[in-house]
Amino acid sequence: MTALENRPAERATPAPAKGRRPWGRPAMYTGYGQDMALLNTGAKKAALAVLLVVALLLPFVLEDELLRLLATGAVLAIGAIGLNLVTGYAGQVSLGHAFFLGIGAYTAAVVSGETGDEDLYGFGITFIPVWLLAGGAMAALVGLVVAPLASRLRGLYLAIVTLGLVFLGEHVFREWDAVTGGVGVGRPAADPVLFGVDLSRSTDAFSADQQMYLLMTALLVLFALLGRNIARSAIGRSFAAVRDRDIAAEVTGVDVRKAKRLAFVISGFYAGCAGALLYSISGYLDPSSFGLLVSVQFVAMVLIGGVATISGSIMGAFFIAILPRLTRELPEYLPFLSSSATEFPNVFQVETLLYGLLIVAFLIFEPRGLFGVWVRARNYWKSWPFSY
Amino acid sequence: MSSTTTRRRVAAASLAGLAVFAAGCRGGSEDPADGGGGEGGSIATDVGVTSDPCPEAVNPDNGCIYLGTLSDLTVGPFAAAGPTIVAGQEAFWNRVNEDGGIGGYDVNVSEYVRDNQYNPQVTNQVYQEIKPDILGLAQTLGSPPTASIVEDLAAEDIVAAPAGWTSLYLFQDVILESGPTYCAEAMNGVDYAAETYSAESVMAVHYAGDYGGDAAAGASVAAEANGLDFANVETTAGTDNQSAAVAAIVDQQPDVVVVSTGPADMATIVGQSVAAGFQGRFLGSSPTWNVALLQSPAAPALTASYQLLGPWGPWDTDSPGHEAMREAAGDTTPNEFFLSGWVWSYPMKAALEAAADSGDLTREGLATASAALESVDYEGILPEGSGNYANGGDAAAVRTTQLSDVSADASTGVTVAEADLEGSTAEGYEFTEPCYEAIDLG
Repeated sequence: MTALENRPAERATPAPAKGRRPWGRPAMYTGYGQDMALLNTGAKKAALAVLLVVALLLPFVLEDELLRLLATGAVLAIGAIGLNLVTGYAGQVSLGHAFFLGIGAYTAAVVSGETGDEDLYGFGITFIPVWLLAGGAMAALVGLVVAPLASRLRGLYLAIVTLGLVFLGEHVFREWDAVTGGVGVGRPAADPVLFGVDLSRSTDAFSADQQMYLLMTALLVLFALLGRNIARSAIGRSFAAVRDRDIAAEVTGVDVRKAKRLAFVISGFYAGCAGALLYSISGYLDPSSFGLLVSVQFVAMVLIGGVATISGSIMGAFFIAILPRLTRELPEYLPFLSSSATEFPNVFQVETLLYGLLIVAFLIFEPRGLFGVWVRARNYWKSWPFSY
Repeated sequence: MSSTTTRRRVAAASLAGLAVFAAGCRGGSEDPADGGGGEGGSIATDVGVTSDPCPEAVNPDNGCIYLGTLSDLTVGPFAAAGPTIVAGQEAFWNRVNEDGGIGGYDVNVSEYVRDNQYNPQVTNQVYQEIKPDILGLAQTLGSPPTASIVEDLAAEDIVAAPAGWTSLYLFQDVILESGPTYCAEAMNGVDYAAETYSAESVMAVHYAGDYGGDAAAGASVAAEANGLDFANVETTAGTDNQSAAVAAIVDQQPDVVVVSTGPADMATIVGQSVAAGFQGRFLGSSPTWNVALLQSPAAPALTASYQLLGPWGPWDTDSPGHEAMREAAGDTTPNEFFLSGWVWSYPMKAALEAAADSGDLTREGLATASAALESVDYEGILPEGSGNYANGGDAAAVRTTQLSDVSADASTGVTVAEADLEGSTAEGYEFTEPCYEAIDLG
């Protein structure tokens, strides 16, 4: 029949389904690639693109002070992702995050420090990737050493033992003057030099804070991508198995000890990198900065942001970073609060109170944290105006 | 390309475009040339100087020079002193403003006061916060905290008046120190002890860093010059942390102990040592005294065994500067730290006046003017010829100390026992580098 013969040859296999979903049916996956993709709906892709564009344009819109705050938030987010990987995804409670931060910070400071200084060690290598990876690697190594603890202890006991790490670290940093300079004296932190340009000093094109913000945001995107991919890979799935029922996981063939070891190593690496970067923003390090409060702050970031989510860690970190700034504005609206630390009540006390209050409030009312709040909002608008 | 994809791409692009459009709103903070001109626009200015008047200005027609303050206001070992020093400085600059200001500008030292917690890292942080808005620093308290920002100060030409006396400042052009260094002070103290108390052994109990280390270095040099035994004991801040120092004193029984800590810690050390039967003498560096110690349980021990090595005459001294200070203080409780804040401000005033006279109140102009100062008028509080910053560290080093006894009758609890004390060690010593770097304390 002419009609059949003249029809152009149909393709034997259906067209690839990628990108061909009907409008308004984002969850209709027609191919494995689509389902497994990092950004598996169009909305996610668009949202991420907009977010990245806004993040890149912020340095031209915001003042230096806010940019510095955001840069700090970005670095804290890197640390929070690390803690979330070990505590949220792998279920190994770690209160020792401050210790790994300190190791990373001091390794980077030593690698980048001035050579020839009699009082302090220094190797003079200020190129960012070198000291950053050195800091991360050293902290990861210590994480490897600490990991066997997790194989023998669980839950509250592991938390107490990792807490001990913080005090061990405090003692070492206090006493090892050649590395840390000693209590009350301190040492300069790592210099962020990239291809000969010192990013912590203003140049003609950009101010110091703009440069540091862009650097930290770029690194955050990198580390977040890495973290997300770890979480949705076989490693991430073995972490989740260990967290949910480690005995069952062992029975089904997951190497629990290896998973726990890997969790500590990865979180150590993230914490080390975060520590190295955090102090390159302000430029100076004092050994008393790696106490219990820092560990608690990171736990707060993870709990408030959302356990076992990467975007939750980022949200929680930015929230905690911006919180002091917000509380400082409170005296305008609550006149009985004073901004001077010598009076009572004052904003610093409110800030300390808030950490605890927020953790409790989020655990009771929204256990999934800020990420849970986002999910609720998203679900509401997905079915609006039929949101009941 | 399907219509939905195109629609989405257009939406994303227009959002981005909106953001670019909004990019003009940054507000010029990357441009440091923020100041207005002076009266008639004849004085060049850049950061920290505005043609608008200061908030609550004394002279509403004047512009405003903003100076920052980094002080220990809450938790460090000098938390009791910090606010008093700030008050002394505010009184000083208020008097300057009432006399018409400098070059058509009032000077404001209240707007950018920040707490540095005597912690080098916090100092660095809060300094970065106020840096874009100030011409210089009216006060930076603590030698170790200042050490964390001194490089940046030098790099950015920010002139600072330190609330401290370490010998490092002799060699920093942007730092306008006043009075003898801890090093020279300790040398004078040890010389005095060797002569008056026939001391044969000296112990230095001090904080780590360039306050305590400086004084200990000076004590060590003078001990060697006089043939005395020297012992070095480091201690950390906090009244709970002095038991090791007290134990060392009671164990080794030196004839004289040079103490270089904060006031509360010094009182703890003296009080507990005397209670344990120690009978030697204590000589404290300038920052160790606070009149409030007379109300503490250590007061009898202090009165009996302690003497202050001070940089200038105490509150009751008769001199035009002291008189002006007492008048400006009004009803404020007399306190040596108020006087210190007052005195520390003289070089900054001289530098600002010199810079305004040469028509350049930019950071660079102020830095050049301060480095060129050959003398500062302290209104009699410090001798003539003080404040010679132009001729190198050794010439700038003041070598006279005022030795004071504790006395409940004096307004601030101390009266001068030996005025203008200058020992042979300090007189003959040549300052070529900071003492704590030159001397190895072991």
